[in-house]
Amino acid sequence: MIRLFETLPYAHALVARQDLPIPAWLFAWGASIVLIVSFFALSAAWREPRFEDEQRRSLGVGLSRALLGMPAQIICGGVGVFLLGVAVYAGLRGTEAPDRNFAITFLFVTVWLGFPAFSVVLGNVFKPFNPWRAIGRAVGGGFEALAGQRFAHARYPERLGRWPAAIGLLAFVWLEIVYGVSGGVAVGVEPHSAAVAALVYSAYTLTMMVVFGVEEWCERGEVFSVYFGMFSRLGIFGAEGGRLQHRKPLSAAGHWATLPGSTAVVIASIATTSFDGGQEGAFKGGIERVYEWLVDGGLDRTLSLRLTNTLFIALCFAGVALVYLIGVRGMSTVKGAPPLRKLLPGFAHTLIPIAFAYLFAHYFSLFVFQEQAQFGYLLSDPLGTATTDLFGTASSGIDFKVLSSNAIWYVQVGALVVGHVIALVLAHDRATAWWGDYRDAARSQYWMLAVMVAFTCFGLYLLSDANG
Amino acid sequence: MQSNTARVLVGIGAVAAAVILLLVLKDDGGDDSTGDATTAAKAKPTGAGKGDAGQQKPAKPAVPTIVIRGGKPVGGIAEISVDEGERVRFKVRSDVAEEIHVHGYDIAKEVSAGGTVGFDFPATIEGIFEAELEHLGEQILELTVNP
Repeated sequence: MIRLFETLPYAHALVARQDLPIPAWLFAWGASIVLIVSFFALSAAWREPRFEDEQRRSLGVGLSRALLGMPAQIICGGVGVFLLGVAVYAGLRGTEAPDRNFAITFLFVTVWLGFPAFSVVLGNVFKPFNPWRAIGRAVGGGFEALAGQRFAHARYPERLGRWPAAIGLLAFVWLEIVYGVSGGVAVGVEPHSAAVAALVYSAYTLTMMVVFGVEEWCERGEVFSVYFGMFSRLGIFGAEGGRLQHRKPLSAAGHWATLPGSTAVVIASIATTSFDGGQEGAFKGGIERVYEWLVDGGLDRTLSLRLTNTLFIALCFAGVALVYLIGVRGMSTVKGAPPLRKLLPGFAHTLIPIAFAYLFAHYFSLFVFQEQAQFGYLLSDPLGTATTDLFGTASSGIDFKVLSSNAIWYVQVGALVVGHVIALVLAHDRATAWWGDYRDAARSQYWMLAVMVAFTCFGLYLLSDANG
Repeated sequence: MQSNTARVLVGIGAVAAAVILLLVLKDDGGDDSTGDATTAAKAKPTGAGKGDAGQQKPAKPAVPTIVIRGGKPVGGIAEISVDEGERVRFKVRSDVAEEIHVHGYDIAKEVSAGGTVGFDFPATIEGIFEAELEHLGEQILELTVNP
């Protein structure tokens, strides 16, 4: 019976319960609160920067050693490699039903949606668990021991900065929601394809680590390190030189976008979430129009749909970038403004809370539902073939009643409003640091205020029933 | 030079935004092209099967029937919207033997080729759910349960 499922397509199988759209009245309230909060922020503005200095304090030596020492690193790295192995194995050998296969929920929900949240709260926790970093360091250590010298890496071209990560992020989401097409419908990636992609990505990442060095690549090109690391900048925990550190909340974000391409990473994050939120609403008509045009033009249906969705992701990226560029351009017209090339990356970090709010609002319910599967039946029966029951939970299900629609709506609106406020705080703070006169600083922020209001209201719109 | 780059980027962005606007707005004009899924289920009062008419109590609304022809729902994906606590009732008449699976509620029923199967369950979970022909992976119903 279960064998039968393996070759069959599944439309949206992972999302068994979709969120109801936010009702119009709550959408209106949410947007109004955003505007009121924004004007309040303008009047209550401070004159000296408060978040430029991280005010780091080192935490206890014992704690640092326990959490960052070599034994912990080996254990965490081992866990990371093991779990990646389980996901790839399940993807290759397990069922093609995405909701029954460990690979899909683990890679696209537990890791992809979980780590941004863990990172904000706990710091850059992906770093020790990063399987490629662990392998890279083990291999590097082995080489050093055998050859008696360090491997000579090539110099990373500085101009590339984090562009490889930005492109990788777009590619990841493309794989997740565009690649999997069945009968002219986007159905999400299948486990086998996901496993193959994971292997291809592993080979690519390890190669880049050999060429440029493990830490160098993690800081710039490795998609997951860069992406999760970005969110960890919002939180209060960091580490340097083997010591755990406590820092002022949000303060580390301002020193994140120092490499070229960082702005593209955060824009890619907002753009991909926007695309996912709008593909069956705001962009649906446009997508169908382009798709039909391509099909009429004689293209294959699968290819047409992939091309169309690719185009719309690109348009989302361009649209988000445009709004940000308008804001920066506007700021540059205010008296005493730094040059544009400094301003452009200088306010990129103010988009990180917006990106996080988008993620949280869009995927919070999916995460709550899907983690029940992750720690229930997927843990006991990772292949989804009903051949194992490792922890006795193989027949467990998902309780979709744990969240009411009202709870989901308030979390969504709350996340976007809070993200908006934090973005305003960061932008205002940077302006006070970069403009000599606080009045000019405030004036420059009318522009960023407009940008933030646009993003937040668009985010609300995507979740509301206006996005039909 | 940097300023020129930015200007070029703004230009590209403006074109992109114009394209998006054009597509979105154009669609608003001709909404019928999106293939709105008007179905037997939407037309609740008239959509009932003849056989039921005699047994129905007058107050009870007719049960919509989703007709499957050639492995696809006739008239597109059906839509049913109820409030939490009400009952979800619909029938499926299919020309192919299939398993009909209501996701989220996780209710599955077999239907034989040419047969009809009825669903009647309480709407206890809020949200939007799909019902599929499980083996073909074809969605036949979008069930909305409002709070």
